[in-house]
Amino acid sequence: MDTFILIGITGIGLGALYFLVASGLSLIYGLMGVLNFAHGSFLTVGAFVGYWVATRLGPETTMTDFILAMIVGGLAAGLFALMIEQLLITRLYDRHIDQALVTVGVSLVVGAVLGGWFGNDLIMFPTPLWFLTAVNVGGAMIPADRIVYIATAVLLLIANWALLKFTRIGLIIRAGVENRNMVNALGINVRRAFSTVFFLGGFAAGVGGVLVSVYSNGVSPLIAGSYLIYGFIVVVIGGMGSVPGSFLAAMLIGVIRQFANYYVTGLGDFVVVILLAGVLLIRPQGLLGKVRA
Amino acid sequence: MLRWKYSRPLLAALLVALALAPMFTSLPLGKPGLQQTLAVAFIWGALALTYDLLFGFTGLLSFGHALYFATGVYVSCILINHEIVSWWLAAIIATVASGVLAALVGAASLRTTGITFAMVTLAFGEAGHVIVGRNFFNLTGGENGIALNADFVPQFWIGVVNTKYIYWTALLALIITYLVIWWVTESSAGRVFAALRDNEQRVQVLGLDTQKFKLLSFVISGTLAGMLGFVMLIAAGSAAPRFAESSVTIALLLMVVIGGAVTRWGAVLGGIFYSFASTRMQDLTQQESFKSIPEWIGGPIAEPALLLGLIFIFIVMFAPGGLSGAYYRLRMKALARKHS
Repeated sequence: MDTFILIGITGIGLGALYFLVASGLSLIYGLMGVLNFAHGSFLTVGAFVGYWVATRLGPETTMTDFILAMIVGGLAAGLFALMIEQLLITRLYDRHIDQALVTVGVSLVVGAVLGGWFGNDLIMFPTPLWFLTAVNVGGAMIPADRIVYIATAVLLLIANWALLKFTRIGLIIRAGVENRNMVNALGINVRRAFSTVFFLGGFAAGVGGVLVSVYSNGVSPLIAGSYLIYGFIVVVIGGMGSVPGSFLAAMLIGVIRQFANYYVTGLGDFVVVILLAGVLLIRPQGLLGKVRA
Repeated sequence: MLRWKYSRPLLAALLVALALAPMFTSLPLGKPGLQQTLAVAFIWGALALTYDLLFGFTGLLSFGHALYFATGVYVSCILINHEIVSWWLAAIIATVASGVLAALVGAASLRTTGITFAMVTLAFGEAGHVIVGRNFFNLTGGENGIALNADFVPQFWIGVVNTKYIYWTALLALIITYLVIWWVTESSAGRVFAALRDNEQRVQVLGLDTQKFKLLSFVISGTLAGMLGFVMLIAAGSAAPRFAESSVTIALLLMVVIGGAVTRWGAVLGGIFYSFASTRMQDLTQQESFKSIPEWIGGPIAEPALLLGLIFIFIVMFAPGGLSGAYYRLRMKALARKHS
């Protein structure tokens, strides 16, 4: 039972990291139809800025320092995302393939610049000592950092939901995902919603970047790779443009992957791809996705 | 499509020159170093062409093309190393296996379209990379890959003095790929591919099975990539997980966009340029004069991805059609001037 809980919660923790990447991808795709390959660079930018903040704040990183690093890293990634959207994406209005291509270019350039500055080896990320302890959950000893991943993901899910549900811009975003042309026809400027979505997606990815660098024991320009791909898988399984769908799919994939890996090493990735193929065959629009007209 | 009327004699002359050059040891091309670099560049050029068939001609943005290439590399290497079949049969089996895999993956992922298709192919391609890296049954050698056992392939492919044979093999593979793609794209199926790219609904209205034609394009492209995988195995001398990475497909995409899609020679040129530039950039940045550039600029420049990425963004934003597109635009202008 202990191992069962341990693997389950570790899986949910991993799923939380996937969700942080996938939520932005899903909204950006749902609203604008942009396949954002630069999302991995948002994650890396957030991770490096977070690292910079955490090392500046003194030799002993406290919990407050870490939270601050997460927020600043998220903000930096959000602003970077906003810049990319303004400089490149908006100029390729409705040329979806070209938009995807440009984001591929961005991810290459960001990777090259960060790689040139910091090298491609892992650099230790300073974490609070509490992260190294274990928390007793139902008899299982859970590494404390997993709890932080889950809490952050849940917090962002709630914030996301509240924003989409209760604010005007959230209403425009939801309407835009549903039918962008109609929102445009009603005379509402969707452009601001685009920028908001890019900023929010970048923010979540940046926060995710800080957590991913804790999970992978350090920062490097290469940490984003597998998370971006898992992010895409989560978005496809959860349904494009659906944030709750992403959350559900992320948790599902995290847990299934962890359990498969526990029984046979390396089986996890394989099972996830089989799951993806299965979902595509049975429900091509994803778990909570809507059928496109 | 606008054609260059002098292209055929000039192309033939260029090919003869490229084929004969390694014979003269006094020329730069007589040296094994450049021969090896160009052999690899030719393979990338051919691979970019197979990607152009998907992306340029059929309008399918696949991010998993590396899967079929890597299948060719690994299947042929495993068959040869374990002495299961002779090298030429291994090459054929590897090519067919890539085609079969392309048919299976294509059948599942072509249920989606556009951007979703891109994501799904990416996921399948990445699964291939993971499987290769995990070293199941001790077959793929994990992260280190497997070295080709030189005893089981013809001796003219082995050793530095014989680099010119690798060069010729790669050139031959490029020519074969070019001829096949040329034949496919000019055939009636090729017309349907182009029509699918331009207006899928219209093709459907004409009563054609769009899925079948897309799958055909996907399988042809994957099969050719598998064959080139065997040639890469000969040129590189080993099968490594880097051939299965998604960055391979992204590199192919860059090559096609930089060279210009749908012109065939554009993709080949883009591939050769990209491969050549990445290799040479690394040599260039090792030189003494480069050390004088401050670290914060010099570091990023030393990564070939920076310059290639910037060129790529520039072409997508401001010069769609890449090198070959720019060439045709210039010619169009010249023609218009002549006739006005």
